[in-house]
Amino acid sequence: MTRSHAVQAVLLIAALALPAWAGPYWVHVGAIAWYYALLASSWALLAGYAGQFSFAHVAFAALGGYASALLSLHFGIPPGIGVVAGIVLAMVAGALIGWLVLRLTGPYLALFTLALSEIFRLMLVAEQQLTRGSLGLQVPGWFGGESDRPYYYFGLSLLVAALLLMAGLLRTRVGLFLRAIRDDEGAARAAGVNTTLYKILVFVVTSGLAGLAGTYYGPFVGILTPSMVILPEMGLVIAMAVIGGIESLPGAAVGAVIVYGLSELTREYGQWRFVLLGLALILVQRFAQNGIFAVLERPLLRPPAVEAERGRG
Amino acid sequence: MDYFALLAINGLVIGLIYALMAAGLTLIFSVLKVVNFGHGTLYMLGGYASYYAITYLGVPPPAGVVLAMVALFAFGVVFERLVLHPMYTNKVERKDEYAIIVTFGLTVLLLNLGIVVFGPFSKSPPPFLAGALIAGPLIITYDRLIAAIAAIVLLSALSWFLARTSLGQALDAVSQSRESAAVIGINPRRMYTVAFGLGSALAAGAGALIAPIFALSPNMGELPAVQAFIIIVLGGMGSVGGSIVGGILLGVVEGLGVGFFPDPNRALAYTEAFGALLLVFTLLVRPTGLFGRPHARLE
Amino acid sequence: MDEAEFFAADGLSKHFGGIIAVDGLSISLSRGELVGLIGPNGSGKTTTINMVAGALRPDEGTIRLRGVTMTGSPAHVFARGGVARTFQVPRLFRRMTVLENLIVPALSNPAARRAEAERRAGEVLSFLRLEHLTRSLARALSGGQQKLLELGRALMLRPSLLLLDEPFAGVHPQLLAQIMEHIGSLNAGGHTIIVVDHNIDAIRSLVRRTVVMAQGRKIADGPSEDVLRDPAVIRAYTGARDAH
Repeated sequence: MTRSHAVQAVLLIAALALPAWAGPYWVHVGAIAWYYALLASSWALLAGYAGQFSFAHVAFAALGGYASALLSLHFGIPPGIGVVAGIVLAMVAGALIGWLVLRLTGPYLALFTLALSEIFRLMLVAEQQLTRGSLGLQVPGWFGGESDRPYYYFGLSLLVAALLLMAGLLRTRVGLFLRAIRDDEGAARAAGVNTTLYKILVFVVTSGLAGLAGTYYGPFVGILTPSMVILPEMGLVIAMAVIGGIESLPGAAVGAVIVYGLSELTREYGQWRFVLLGLALILVQRFAQNGIFAVLERPLLRPPAVEAERGRG
Repeated sequence: MDYFALLAINGLVIGLIYALMAAGLTLIFSVLKVVNFGHGTLYMLGGYASYYAITYLGVPPPAGVVLAMVALFAFGVVFERLVLHPMYTNKVERKDEYAIIVTFGLTVLLLNLGIVVFGPFSKSPPPFLAGALIAGPLIITYDRLIAAIAAIVLLSALSWFLARTSLGQALDAVSQSRESAAVIGINPRRMYTVAFGLGSALAAGAGALIAPIFALSPNMGELPAVQAFIIIVLGGMGSVGGSIVGGILLGVVEGLGVGFFPDPNRALAYTEAFGALLLVFTLLVRPTGLFGRPHARLE
Repeated sequence: MDEAEFFAADGLSKHFGGIIAVDGLSISLSRGELVGLIGPNGSGKTTTINMVAGALRPDEGTIRLRGVTMTGSPAHVFARGGVARTFQVPRLFRRMTVLENLIVPALSNPAARRAEAERRAGEVLSFLRLEHLTRSLARALSGGQQKLLELGRALMLRPSLLLLDEPFAGVHPQLLAQIMEHIGSLNAGGHTIIVVDHNIDAIRSLVRRTVVMAQGRKIADGPSEDVLRDPAVIRAYTGARDAH
């Protein structure tokens, strides 16, 4: 789909050029949008591609963020190594969760990860000596100076790298196997696919990327709080991915940027924005299960071809 | 000892409310095979519907509860028809995910609508009956007593309805096998609508009954919804009887648990986490629930 | 390796709660055999297939293929070890193309290359006369085409043992003839096959040897003509029918 590559290239150029003409406020908004785009696209890989509908994705972001910050804070580990450690920890936790949920599907998996995420949040609140609880953990920034531009470009490059990594993974047979598992796990096993291995693998990869998002978010915002893990945050990530297209990783990333950007543009409407978000989530799922971009391209391509190509990412 | 007896009684009342929530959730799950992630907000809407009926329409409090149930029944029917219905056609490929997303979307929508429309601050409807029953050392407010009795009446009515009426038996038939039910002339799709409406009405009844005891707030449904999830998982995802027993047990255990924690700060966080832990362990040990029928998942 | 021991299931048992689905079942096959497995509803045929395919772990008993003990291995190890199966109701990767459905089993072998897998998929599709559907989504296929595609997916594993669970169920007569022809030619080409079905006429004309199960046990095993005339077999079938 070269046309979609062209669109992606244009979007990337626009993102690179934005700080040149937009004010510092929008640079700040953009830098936060990259955090959500990382989460939404990696969640789309986990839930849309592999069919593992997890509510714990933002908990992995918090795990990565808190772990790297605490390691620097308590053991004086340099931030770079702290980040790597945070990501590795998120991957290990992802492997563990992936292994635990092997037998759970659909709503059972959703409930399990929801409960797990809630336990993790309550631990962050309760273990005040370590995490400073609801007051939040101060995280020193990476880049000096007042400007958010370094974060903007750093976050953007993380996002692009993550999208390329995931696209590369999906182009191998792993992508094929993940979709086979999503469509019918038992049939995938009967076809010789080691479903255990690939289900754990997708949890490891996506948890690592969520952890990466968290390690980026902390130093940029300057504070980590347990509210990163509240259900509405996860709801926001789900809504972003569903609206952008749960089976298209760039679609989910763009969905995240659009949803976050729109919510900033319409700040004066306060809580009404989230009413609309809930409504949009239901309507998109009801009428456009592959996201709004699939609807936009539908008239241009024959429907079966769209589906086949979309599936391949 | 009296302190614990009091905690147990209060726990029992809350447990009955949980049981109402869980019975509705179970009814929806067993018939539609859908976990309604929006159940907590239906409970919240029920509480507010009753509140507005009482304060603005001036109906007596018990009629407020009934009106709330009727209103939410209608809401449930409309939501099922408009949003869940496509699930049963071939248009929807990922049915589990579809149901999670739209019911979760309902939560996002209604919770925030609640904040906008009802305001973030809590409201209290007038009591059903002021005062308290004093039996020796035990004091129980009439509101709690009435809520408990009403919950028992509703749960009994539900059990009778499911066991003794032809509509109830049709629901049961669909919950056991859609195909067989269709063969004997039951339209499963109509049963899905009925079940979702009834489940919504039960949640609304729970919310309306709890309203005079705890104040109303838009996020009041979050905790009971989590408890209801725990209960239906413990109760085996689909047994209405199991969910009633589970609800009462959880309420009592929770009520008594408060009496045992020395450190109030951690206690508060970890009592909440306790339920979630219970859910996690149950799903790990027995994905079909503690009281559920063991069924082998054939490939 | 003893030729008679190409495949051997020995003393297989499986319980679900208090229900005994399969009770001490033994079957052995020699290379290139085509065997029918029949029995009334609930006699344990599908449970047997699930155990032989590795999808269910037997409570007791062993499964050996070409002298290798497979018991207890996960299903994908059975599949890569050469046991391929179809399901009663086709279980395709519905949102993947016909071609993708076929290359999944081929690529489950880490040494396989995609170009080679696609070439073989083309061969299988032309054998099944489905070439024109290569790029279609599996869910867009008719019921009969889905059955054929599932057979094709099983063939892509280059199976030593092919398990066909009700290949004739719900197919119209013309397709039934086509599927029978495919099974016949696969067997003639050296495949060892177990066919589970209710269609006694199809089984009778297709297989020389038939195994009959009732209430989890094997009640007859031998040349199809003899077995299908066996009074115990007739009683098991009519008895089951009376009970309904």
